[in-house]
Amino acid sequence: MIRRASPRVAGYAALTAIGLVAALAVRRPELAVLVAPFALILAVGLRNAGDPKVEVELALEADRVLEGGEVDAEIAVRAATGVDRLELFFDLPPGMEVADGDDAVALRLHGDEERPISLRLRPVRWGLYDVGEVEVRARDVLRLVVWERRFRHSTRLKAYPKEEAVRRILAPVETQAFTGSEVARTKGDGIEYADIRDYVPGDRLRSINWRASARKDDLVVNERHPERNTDVVLFVDSFADVRQGDRSTLDDAVRAAATLATRYLDRRDRVGLVAFGGILRWLQPGMGLTQRFRLIETVLETDIEPTYTWRDVNRIPPRILPPKALVLALTPLVDPRYVAALEDLRARGFDLVVVEVDPVGLVEPGRDEIEALAFRLWLLERDVLRSRLQGLGIAVARWGDDVSLEAALEGVRTYRRYARLARV
Amino acid sequence: MTEVGARVVLVALVVLVASLVLGWAPLLPAALVLLGSVYAAQLYADDARLDGAAPLFAAGLYVTAELGYWSLEERERAEAAPGEGLRRLAIVALLGLVALLAAGSLLALADILTTRGLAVDFLGAAAAAAALLAVVLLARRQPES
Repeated sequence: MIRRASPRVAGYAALTAIGLVAALAVRRPELAVLVAPFALILAVGLRNAGDPKVEVELALEADRVLEGGEVDAEIAVRAATGVDRLELFFDLPPGMEVADGDDAVALRLHGDEERPISLRLRPVRWGLYDVGEVEVRARDVLRLVVWERRFRHSTRLKAYPKEEAVRRILAPVETQAFTGSEVARTKGDGIEYADIRDYVPGDRLRSINWRASARKDDLVVNERHPERNTDVVLFVDSFADVRQGDRSTLDDAVRAAATLATRYLDRRDRVGLVAFGGILRWLQPGMGLTQRFRLIETVLETDIEPTYTWRDVNRIPPRILPPKALVLALTPLVDPRYVAALEDLRARGFDLVVVEVDPVGLVEPGRDEIEALAFRLWLLERDVLRSRLQGLGIAVARWGDDVSLEAALEGVRTYRRYARLARV
Repeated sequence: MTEVGARVVLVALVVLVASLVLGWAPLLPAALVLLGSVYAAQLYADDARLDGAAPLFAAGLYVTAELGYWSLEERERAEAAPGEGLRRLAIVALLGLVALLAAGSLLALADILTTRGLAVDFLGAAAAAAALLAVVLLARRQPES
């Protein structure tokens, strides 16, 4: 522990020195008597101030919690020697708050005593939190010496993003080869009725449509659509973040990504992730519970890394973007590099849907006339950009203050049902 | 003289309050020096042989300093357990009593020694210098990590 003198030492030493010099100067012993207690306390206190031996350990009840949820933290404070006053300050990272308890406490510990302190922590935002930093300050009984030490424990808490309410998700245009929950456009073994055709040797008896066969006077069999899985790639824009107060487009995009990933994985689809920005992060499409945790933990690391370099989709390994995959782009549509990447993906024939995390509500319209005009121009530019993307056959869903994610996806579903896919 | 003393005491109180309100510890000894200087001036003006109230002044000054520094420490946001404040108050009272006893003993010693001539004066000066040196040496002890 680092030892330093408290402000008392300088004060008492100064008073002692001034009193003794004054006593000699004016030849009055009373002035020496006046400062004698200060000298005595200094001499005794500094002589007897032994270094305290303190250990602090922090343990969390769980290493994963949902954002806004609470997790118990137990701090064990052990002192090998007695400490008259031990102050503990829990240095919480930004975004983490104390839900119950005090993040600064003072204790008195006897020798070989252990004292547990309970705290309840709450992450207000999703992310990775290192919560192990505790600053300890010990004082002796005469308050002349202060010992300080910072304990750092590698206790990491993962705050998972809260899920948005989405009941129906988007179905990709194409399905993959494995069994899943999506009715394929092709014909094969399945449950959903597709068509009838003439019987050919080798057809199973159970697929014969007896009513149609009786009408036609020849054997007719039912054809069905098979249930297949799909590949979905969540393409998160991490070039730019529009933030105001507690709200941010990146936070919303990550929440949407986590929600969609969970929904698609629940239907046995393969889901992958690309965080496209200053740092390129990706996760190969996969399925199952393990993939869900992998996806969410990858998405937690997503952050805005400023960069001025141009990035294009050539940097993404081909296995991350499998053919026939539905690419769901989550973006505020403010960075031209990301928009260029979207156009590039569309040009390569990917089934692409843009979920626009609308940043308009987070931007001040401007105080004066010029700023208000600039704001209106910016809105017009955004409209033009949306039209351009839709012209390329990309469905754009606006998700903002007044539109829920489910409503935005419903709009895309309608667009995709009626709009002809443009082949570029 | 009394009027000037009262004004200096008033200034000392203002400095003390400013130190506590601003949370600036170096102002606290300055307020105590001002209070001590009033007492010194009073002693100089009265020119009495030895003031028997000096231990009381010493203890009062010490308790004032302790309470002042305690008040400054309480600005820390770490809150102590209930009952710790009373315990600290008892410690300060005990230290005040120790200060009173120590100052009284020193005054009694000074009373004996002031009647013994120049050699004892030198001895007293040497003791004062040694005490000052001890305090400085202890205060300069290097921090250990």
